[in-house]
Amino acid sequence: MEIDRADGRNPNQLRPLSCSRGVLNRAHGSASWAQGNTQVLAAVYGPKAGTKKNENPEKASVEVIWKPKTGQIGKQEKEYEMVLKRTLQSICILTIHPNTTTSVIVQVVHDDGALLPCAINASCAALVDAGIPLKHLAVAICCCLADSGLVMLDPTKLEEEKMKAFVYLVLPNSILSVLPEESSSVKGEQMEQGLITSVTHGVMSVDDYLHCLERGRAATSKMSDFLRRNLQPQLSSDSSKAG
Amino acid sequence: MEQRLANTWRMTVNEKKFIESALVSGLRVDGRNLYDYRKLSINFGKEDGSAEVHLGQTRVMGIATSQLVQPYRDRPNEGTLSIFTEFSPMADPSFEPGRPGEFAVELGRVIDRGLRESRAVDTESLCVLAGKLVWAIRIDLHILDNGGNLVDAANVAALAALSTFRRPECSLGGENGQEVIVHPPEAREPLPLIIHHLPIAVTFAFFSDESTLVVDPTHQEEAVMAGRMTATLNTNGDICAIQKAGGEGVPQSVIMHCLRIAATKAADITVKIRDTVEAYNTERALQKIKRHSAPVALDVSGTVPNVRKNQVKSEDQREVSGSVGTQVEKLKPMNERKNSDQSNDIEGKVVTKSLEQGGTNSKDGNPRSFIGGPSS
Repeated sequence: MEIDRADGRNPNQLRPLSCSRGVLNRAHGSASWAQGNTQVLAAVYGPKAGTKKNENPEKASVEVIWKPKTGQIGKQEKEYEMVLKRTLQSICILTIHPNTTTSVIVQVVHDDGALLPCAINASCAALVDAGIPLKHLAVAICCCLADSGLVMLDPTKLEEEKMKAFVYLVLPNSILSVLPEESSSVKGEQMEQGLITSVTHGVMSVDDYLHCLERGRAATSKMSDFLRRNLQPQLSSDSSKAG
Repeated sequence: MEQRLANTWRMTVNEKKFIESALVSGLRVDGRNLYDYRKLSINFGKEDGSAEVHLGQTRVMGIATSQLVQPYRDRPNEGTLSIFTEFSPMADPSFEPGRPGEFAVELGRVIDRGLRESRAVDTESLCVLAGKLVWAIRIDLHILDNGGNLVDAANVAALAALSTFRRPECSLGGENGQEVIVHPPEAREPLPLIIHHLPIAVTFAFFSDESTLVVDPTHQEEAVMAGRMTATLNTNGDICAIQKAGGEGVPQSVIMHCLRIAATKAADITVKIRDTVEAYNTERALQKIKRHSAPVALDVSGTVPNVRKNQVKSEDQREVSGSVGTQVEKLKPMNERKNSDQSNDIEGKVVTKSLEQGGTNSKDGNPRSFIGGPSS
């Protein structure tokens, strides 16, 4: 069954992606990520000396500040901060610089659906731009479930509001390796089969959820390619960020 | 928290001395003349009322939104304008999240005085029901990158956001004309604000050597300067606000000299703002024509994917032209791409035909305005 999406995409199509790194001068790392009309700007400062009171000083810690486009910071923003922080903590190698804080600041430029995945992608690109050591990259995507049971990827804001349920999935990026496949598996399972974060809104059955997961995984391989190509070092940019 | 202070950027003595001695001989570190502004560029976002200003390395985003509220008791016929400045921690490592510091408050107040107290925005036209409902315009200024001279950049961002902002049209209805109906933008075209004049802020930095002053200091010059002054003026020759908060004492003649310089700078910046806003408005009008003619084209040409592809294509072009160093990728299956080649051919043929004929009848009966739009 075909559902006509307002912008003419089919259910498996993502909106046009665009990513630019190194957009800010003072920040150590910065990236702007846009998926269709949703655009997010992320900046990274760090590592800075010291950790906050309730953080473990034996490890590095990640601090996330979410700035909405307009209005006061409320519970929604705090929730996004928490999800983003936990996601980024799982991809950063925390043992390299103990007792330091890396700050990630996210500024929403425009929200047209799939805001949290866009922010996660932007933060990941900004962390790479800042040179923070990461285990692997994180690729985030939003899958929504229509009443008919059809799974659609990357909804716009209007679509998100109409759907029965939607889920934000964050998966590790696909591995491009010359080594044979067995050596990249963790505990017998492929690393790329893992799931870093999943946030659901609305009610969906277990089968629908697994279906969303499958579709999300298929889409993230394309996004990983895009990300990998985009993160190639840029030849003409200057890299001095002292002061 | 003391550890946080250890992370702030401090200027070395060498850098300070270098900047000061260069200024004595009239040289600035970035090669500008003493009274030159850095390159100012204004980009608009996808929504009405969102603008991003680049002044050299300084980057400020301004967003204007509106809401219906009750008016103040002493001004029942006027709408309100409020400015919120966010010194985002991404702009500078020393900006802390949470309560705004004194500089943030000062910046907010300077822009507020320049805009509100000089009556740049007509607040009486924002009244819907006297004494009951008025429009409250809220401007959020997000400082994204602190490259120095935040006041001027933030001021331009606020003006650009206000100039392109559109508020929904509302009409009175109901039994006794007391009910307010707000029309969504699809139903009725939203209205722009009435702006009488553009108050432009020009900042000067004074240094310990008496006769040295520069316009538009960078953040390194700000770290070295001994005093600063911001003059907000408009092209009518009115001084809307002057802010000189402490710092080095400056003789009267220097102040008058500064005001004269500020007048010329304000004129330049006003022209720049007006030009970019006009360009944005024409593009917006063209977009509206395209959007409205799309349903007509659907019926006539009969193929749905072509029309939508054109729209998406032109959005892409805007994206590419608007940003620097980006990679725009479309993840579409192969058959869609074939369709797009077809649509390009059809479009090409129709364009040449309409140019040749120059009349209102083109091949498929598509309205000329659709073909002549930005996608061609």
